[in-house]
Amino acid sequence: MSRYAVNSLLYRLKKDRAFRARFVADPAAAIAGLDLTDAEQAAFVARDMKRINALGGYLHLVMSVPGLAAHVTHPEREE
Amino acid sequence: MGTIVFAGAMSHVLDPDYYQEACGLSGRRKVEACMAEIRAMGERMLARRPDALIVVADDHLNAFSFNAVPALCVRIGRHVERMVQEEAEAFDRALEGLPERYALHEDLANRILEDGLAAGFDLALSWEAPIDHAFLSPVMTLHGAQPVTPLVPIWVNCFVAPQPTPARCFAFGRHLARVIERGPWNAAIIATGGLSHFPELSLPRVGESDTVFDRKLLHWLEAGEHEPLQALTTGELDKAGEHEFLNWMALAGAVTPARADVRYFGELGRINMAAVEWRLP
Repeated sequence: MSRYAVNSLLYRLKKDRAFRARFVADPAAAIAGLDLTDAEQAAFVARDMKRINALGGYLHLVMSVPGLAAHVTHPEREE
Repeated sequence: MGTIVFAGAMSHVLDPDYYQEACGLSGRRKVEACMAEIRAMGERMLARRPDALIVVADDHLNAFSFNAVPALCVRIGRHVERMVQEEAEAFDRALEGLPERYALHEDLANRILEDGLAAGFDLALSWEAPIDHAFLSPVMTLHGAQPVTPLVPIWVNCFVAPQPTPARCFAFGRHLARVIERGPWNAAIIATGGLSHFPELSLPRVGESDTVFDRKLLHWLEAGEHEPLQALTTGELDKAGEHEFLNWMALAGAVTPARADVRYFGELGRINMAAVEWRLP
């Protein structure tokens, strides 16, 4: 697991709109050359934020990258 | 001689729409009840006319990229900007519509920083880091329509392991109290975040807040029992989803041995909402 590579990529996806657009258009090309393992690369190409979190991606990033964020809802019982 | 005139701690995503979306109407009602208590705390705070408001909070991987992640960082300078997030998702939307620029209490921030280094706290400093909802959601709820008190934002690294220990955060809080006591300013201090949510920062565990752990922490704060708090480990906090309690530890250190009153505690699977105020001499 390359914690730095995974998280710096998530950070860039969140903060850099132009890079995010390139990633959405062609994920494999956008992340080519980064120091990611095969599993990490596959998770990003699949845009699988659950898997990215399991591989060390910080929760607040996987929940807040615009357009790619994991959404978890759990309605509470009404009191 | 300066005095701590107000001390409070509170949850920091104060956005009814967010909780309605995540947890349904019950979520909205609970955050609104928590916000009502925070507003009342704000009225008491402002009645004591603080010169500065120290805000101890965390960065949600917004202000500090992975270029550097400071354990403890003091924001210096004259102004601070709020984070701007295009196409914001989820909790980042809590910032929308808030003012973009806030005055800092430059002299108090510099004293905390310089005296801290002299006292052995290897604090980071920043002139540029923006502040996110961890700072601004509580600050704006406390102030309502009143002018915002000059801020001293302080970041604790709550999320990127290895974090500072709870005991170290408490010791840093003692430092804050000494600086205030030596200076001419009356200061309010808040810690934000929590209570239990997002254990182990694991997506499958979102929705598993640890109420038993929260009640233990609140009991110690209410009783002024700060020794067991300092024995906590960052590993325990991670497992219980109490990452942001590190901010509260700094506040506990600043006001020890004062006792706390729990103004609000509301259970949600997503997060246990809390608002706590200390009884100061």
